[in-house]
Amino acid sequence: MGPALTLLEGSAPEFGVGAFESRPLFPSAAYQSCHDGWEAIEGCSYSPTWTDIWLTNHIAQAVIGALLVIGFWLIVKPRKTASADPNQNGVIPSKRQFLGEYAYNLIRNGVARDLIGHDYQRYVPYLVALFSFILVNNLMGETFLFMFPTFSKVGFAWGLAILSWLLYNGVGIKKKGFFGYLRSATLPHGVPIWLAWLVIPLEFLSNIIVRPLTLGLRLFANLFAGHLVVMVFVVGGSWLLFATSSSSTGYSPVWNVAGGLALLMSFFVFAIELLVACLQAYIFTVLTAQYVSSSLAEEH
Amino acid sequence: MSDPKGNDGDGITALSYILSGVLLYGGLGWLADRWLGTGFLLPAGLILGLALGVYLIIRRFGARP
Repeated sequence: MGPALTLLEGSAPEFGVGAFESRPLFPSAAYQSCHDGWEAIEGCSYSPTWTDIWLTNHIAQAVIGALLVIGFWLIVKPRKTASADPNQNGVIPSKRQFLGEYAYNLIRNGVARDLIGHDYQRYVPYLVALFSFILVNNLMGETFLFMFPTFSKVGFAWGLAILSWLLYNGVGIKKKGFFGYLRSATLPHGVPIWLAWLVIPLEFLSNIIVRPLTLGLRLFANLFAGHLVVMVFVVGGSWLLFATSSSSTGYSPVWNVAGGLALLMSFFVFAIELLVACLQAYIFTVLTAQYVSSSLAEEH
Repeated sequence: MSDPKGNDGDGITALSYILSGVLLYGGLGWLADRWLGTGFLLPAGLILGLALGVYLIIRRFGARP
């Protein structure tokens, strides 16, 4: 293992891949006895208390993300404007309301109406909340103070995937009944009977099992991989930039040049991460809407 | 779903058909091979799964007006 990789494994958890490990906000005595600072002492086992498991920095981050989203929508929501002309009260949107409606319409028209169609309004609140929550949490990966995308911990992604899974199966069952939904979800119209026994298990796997798995994994893997690349460029680059002959054997000044270039490149990587953060939030929302739409679709 | 803009996720749906077909019937073929000690059921299952995946994609997306 190269010296830069050792550094990536890092002794300081806020630095290097240690960032992916959740740290308790209020470490218990048992936790502290098995950790040197934040670093786990090898071979030491302890039974974590519930605060060690549940009150961690990453969960706090997700909660802060949710509060930011709620705050944003409360700030931009339409409100009565005091105006000299009584006809204009609450009719002319304020600038804040305009911004909010612009963001809201992006999902309402661009995702919900286009994909779900008839009776789409019922799903707009969930889709808007989903999109804004994922977007805010993804952007935390590029934001000071947090510098960690919440969904690069796979559990958070599973949580949202399960929610969407419950939604699209729930609306399908509500509309068509349990067996009616299963039939429409596993047997496409026009498949001959002699093929049905081959097609049904395949459709079941594809529509009921693989969908939530890919939904969660796509979000997690994109953010995890992206954040890892950022880490390699920034941490590895800065280590190389400041390397001296005493840092490691085999040192050459090329290291410093390469480190500087890697740091410059990291800006480019960050730009890509911004794109990925927005794109993945959008894709998750679009796919949820599409699954809902396919659950509701009538047989023709 | 007749809206031309409404096909953002179709590629992923199509891919999931191919993947599930190959994994499901390839997997069943592999299990049957281990159980029976034969060697031809895995490739047969893979091809069957692929064919069924393609068939389902045609059924689901080819039938649209």
